[in-house]
Amino acid sequence: MIDISAFNDALGIMFTSAGSWGWIVPGLIVGLVFSAIPGISITMAMAIVLPMSLYMDFFSAIVFLTSVYTGAGFGGSVPAILMNIPGSPSSFATTFDGYAMSQKGEHNEALGYALFASTLCGIAGYVLLLLVIEPLADIVLRIGPVEMFAVAIWGMMLLGSLGSAYISRGLLAAALGILLGTVGMNTAGFTRGTMGLPVLLDGIAPIPAMIGLLAASQLLSLASRDYIIEAEGSREVSLRKILKGCWGTLKYPGVLLRGSIIGIIIGAVPGVGSSIGNLIAYAETKRTAKDSATFGKGNPKGVIAAESAVASGEGGSMATMLALGIPGGGATAILIAAFMMHNIVPGPNFIETQKPMVYAIILNNIVQAIVLLAVGIGFIYVASNIMKVRTRYVLPAILVIATLGTFAVTGEAAGPITLFVFALLGYALNRYQYPVSAVVVGILLGRMLETEFLRSYQLSGGNPLYILERPAAMAIFAVMLASLAMTAWGKRKQNRAEAAEALAMERLRDEAAARHAAGATKS
Amino acid sequence: MTDFTRRDAFKITAGGLAAAGGLVAMPSILRAANYPTRPINVIVPFATGGYNDRLSRAFAPYLEKEIGQPLVIVNKPGAGTQLGNSYALNQPADGYSILCTSAAPYIPLTVLLQNAPYKVEDFSMINLPSRDYTLAATSSDGPVKTFAEVIEKLKKDPTSLSIGVQPASADFANMVLAFQAAEIDATKLRIVTYDGGGPARNATAGAQVDVGFVGGEGFLPLKSKIRPLAIFAAEKVDWYPDAPLIGAAGIKTDFVEGSQRGWAVSTKLKNEQPEIYKFLVGAIERASKNPKSIETLKLQELATTWYGPEASDKAYLDNASKMAKYVDLLK
Repeated sequence: MIDISAFNDALGIMFTSAGSWGWIVPGLIVGLVFSAIPGISITMAMAIVLPMSLYMDFFSAIVFLTSVYTGAGFGGSVPAILMNIPGSPSSFATTFDGYAMSQKGEHNEALGYALFASTLCGIAGYVLLLLVIEPLADIVLRIGPVEMFAVAIWGMMLLGSLGSAYISRGLLAAALGILLGTVGMNTAGFTRGTMGLPVLLDGIAPIPAMIGLLAASQLLSLASRDYIIEAEGSREVSLRKILKGCWGTLKYPGVLLRGSIIGIIIGAVPGVGSSIGNLIAYAETKRTAKDSATFGKGNPKGVIAAESAVASGEGGSMATMLALGIPGGGATAILIAAFMMHNIVPGPNFIETQKPMVYAIILNNIVQAIVLLAVGIGFIYVASNIMKVRTRYVLPAILVIATLGTFAVTGEAAGPITLFVFALLGYALNRYQYPVSAVVVGILLGRMLETEFLRSYQLSGGNPLYILERPAAMAIFAVMLASLAMTAWGKRKQNRAEAAEALAMERLRDEAAARHAAGATKS
Repeated sequence: MTDFTRRDAFKITAGGLAAAGGLVAMPSILRAANYPTRPINVIVPFATGGYNDRLSRAFAPYLEKEIGQPLVIVNKPGAGTQLGNSYALNQPADGYSILCTSAAPYIPLTVLLQNAPYKVEDFSMINLPSRDYTLAATSSDGPVKTFAEVIEKLKKDPTSLSIGVQPASADFANMVLAFQAAEIDATKLRIVTYDGGGPARNATAGAQVDVGFVGGEGFLPLKSKIRPLAIFAAEKVDWYPDAPLIGAAGIKTDFVEGSQRGWAVSTKLKNEQPEIYKFLVGAIERASKNPKSIETLKLQELATTWYGPEASDKAYLDNASKMAKYVDLLK
């Protein structure tokens, strides 16, 4: 639990190094802008500014970098909502309802919902972190391959809610995605599907592939319009509506809470990105919602659920980093490097000897999230103006920026080539009504599914009863099955009710017809 | 632009090519004399934040002072350093590209297992200050206390303990060699594979696996969460003195040294531009011996020991030949 004297010292650090607070706003803006550009991920944004932070003193550098991290956690949702192109993989699920809302002319509200869900859950995540950083870190280390496999399966269940005209095509698309996700050298050292290209040894780069798949179809469909939203009246940018969305977020505390918890736990597990938390939180909220049929058609709860898990995932990831010195993902790996470059090695030793500093970092993150509330409103106000620009100017610009972004990831042509190849694939999939999003889910989860299944197999020596030794994995599977069964039960009840209603209606109609007929014969 | 024909364009291009060719063919002494006139690229075949990236960035200010030009760190990660290595070899041998990398075992491994389009001898080491060794470790609250105990248990029942390791690595070779020496049936072992040292270390510290074989240096921040069982080194390792040597475990086994990280250039540069090569060696030597750089890098847990080109090259080539000898164990 929280150590009060260390907490007081932390407040001291916060206020004595008040100069470093000046880095919060620039950091947030850098993070927002970079992550809003399709093709540039959080990790990249941080890698770009890391060398810059070398010239700052320690606390300023950490404030700056974590501000970039905080800003980047939200920025990706802006293009996701406005254009159906996620700025980074962690805002993929945000596109489902976010873009649908913006097509209805509710982009202002959608962005408001996303911003508040993101920041409020970010704050919740860090507050929780303050309380449980050490126990959480220990639990995270105990999460093994079987549990991770269960989580990956959980993520795959999202497929069921993607909704496609043909179930068979949906499954086929998901299978294709998983296969694509397993290209490269697997964890046991076997190489598959690289076609002899060394760049594919590490697998298909997920970001260019995702942007290619989603952007190609999206840009082509937008190309036939004059503006992103056709109805002129809906294109307005309104601060009042943005604030209405922000305020509206508070009406769904349950969704926020669930998203935060899913985000923190999944974010804390090393090697699992917030993209997976984003998918699972969305799928769970949709499955448990009473109005699940309206998800994907512009339900604000979908936006809130998806965004809530992203920001809280940052807190989780930060916990593992501070307490164990283990990076939860690419962005925290860069934070660790920044710590080391300032002669500080995060890990169990750091948290024991420098608790005030750890608390100060967490507190500063809370401050950043609060500042983001204000900076973010300004950012989305400016960014929404893209709605007023003709598509003939917007589309080429986005294409160029996305191509440059994917090039920047490795500084090689491999990024743009992946983008192009997947753009063609995305076009073909769309043309024949295969759900592109199922392929994306497969790519994001394929590697994790395979790796964790393989490790579970290796660990158990092939004995399926091994799962009995892993109560946590059993619990995850049990919760998953129970939730599935309840959904199925609910659906069945609903179907029955509908069938009964339909039957009753028919009977009424029949009776009316019979009466009518009787009347006709009488006369 | 009146009569500009395709033929003219061809002539101009040809002329340009000839001029460029002439420039390339200029006597090397002439170019070496005013070297360096522009910033030098340091190619790191790993992503930002890894050991080599940190080493290059921390060492850069001291090396810059010796060279008199800024250094630009260029990260070229991917395919177990193969992409960065190929990139480095594709640069002109003019001294404006140097490597900061885990030369061993990555270069030999990419050659032996990935059919990389270069040879081990295409790279020449200037100094490899960081020497890592495979460490067999267990979670600090695990039931196993010594490496002898591990051997004893696995001899009785090869499935009794699970083992975490990165396939196709020096650690994997060391693990197989140790178990061969102890006459353990390796086919029945429960070996769990990880695609990097980091995940394998986490699995060890979190008791996902009973014993992990991973590069020891990376364990340092997690020191309190693990118990070292055996380190695959000939002598006591100065950065982890409490780790028992494999020689003390009661089995006689050969072993491969772990990662050797530091500064390298292409052999082409060494042969064709001896002046530039000598200049670089001198600059790296002076920067490595600079007390300020030693102090700064030590605080960041980075190595600066000066072994020099000969000793570094020997260690690198020894590692490569041992890897080649045991390559069948890695497949």
